[in-house]
Amino acid sequence: MKNVKDDLADRELIFSRVLDAPIDLVWEVWTDPEHIQLWWGPDGFTNTIQKMEIKKGGEWSLIMKSPDGDIYAHRCMFREIVERKRIVYEQLTHPKYLATINFESKDDKTFLHWHMLFESRAYLIEAARTFKVDIGLKQTAERLIQYLSQLK
Amino acid sequence: MLAYIFASKYLHIMETRRDVFQAIADPTRREIISLVAKQSLNLNSVAGKFDMTRQAVSLHVKILAECGLINIKQEGRERYCEAKLDGLSEVSAWVEQYKEHWERRLDSLEKYLSKLKKERNEKRKR
Repeated sequence: MKNVKDDLADRELIFSRVLDAPIDLVWEVWTDPEHIQLWWGPDGFTNTIQKMEIKKGGEWSLIMKSPDGDIYAHRCMFREIVERKRIVYEQLTHPKYLATINFESKDDKTFLHWHMLFESRAYLIEAARTFKVDIGLKQTAERLIQYLSQLK
Repeated sequence: MLAYIFASKYLHIMETRRDVFQAIADPTRREIISLVAKQSLNLNSVAGKFDMTRQAVSLHVKILAECGLINIKQEGRERYCEAKLDGLSEVSAWVEQYKEHWERRLDSLEKYLSKLKKERNEKRKR
């Protein structure tokens, strides 16, 4: 019996986009804290970048604040930086994952390939579950409020 | 009353969270599911595929059954395991939702880029 190990495909997420912007601009908004805090999101969240050292071994810490005031602090480390070509970072806080973002220039557009690798399938599911529970609990609370207001 | 509503909702969530997740959190259990998903197997055949004691495999099967991902059917002297995969769709729904969350982040990057491009173009015209 083979040793039971997760296949790569079971624990990775892949996204790709053609962005209607030249590669210089895309690189700039990814690597400049002033820019990334404005788009990193998610919707309605505000982000504070505490540290962002764009170099191999550099630290990246950010604090995300939800519309309800919940705080999520994340710490990452850059594993590889190739100017206008590649960013590899590892999220050290839960959920742990390794992200590889490749940038490729296509005329005046930029092809972005975004790969996220979790340590195991269980980690990916755990990340999804945590996300789901956060959202789910919020929706439950909203439903409860709605329900209570109907009782009045 | 309030406490009751809260407790029942909250506990319900805790329960559903535990079930399927617990079942698939373990690699051996995931392997058992994929084995019996192909065909029903008796307990001995399942145990024979793993490098661990029959008792250990039995325990995994028991947890899977408790979580509703496996049915154990008695046929004569044999106990057969068959997969009940409906429960797993819940998990793939979580992963889909999570993926969607990252797609939104790329949307946000796209929107921000187009806004920035516009702003800089206007500045250049002035």
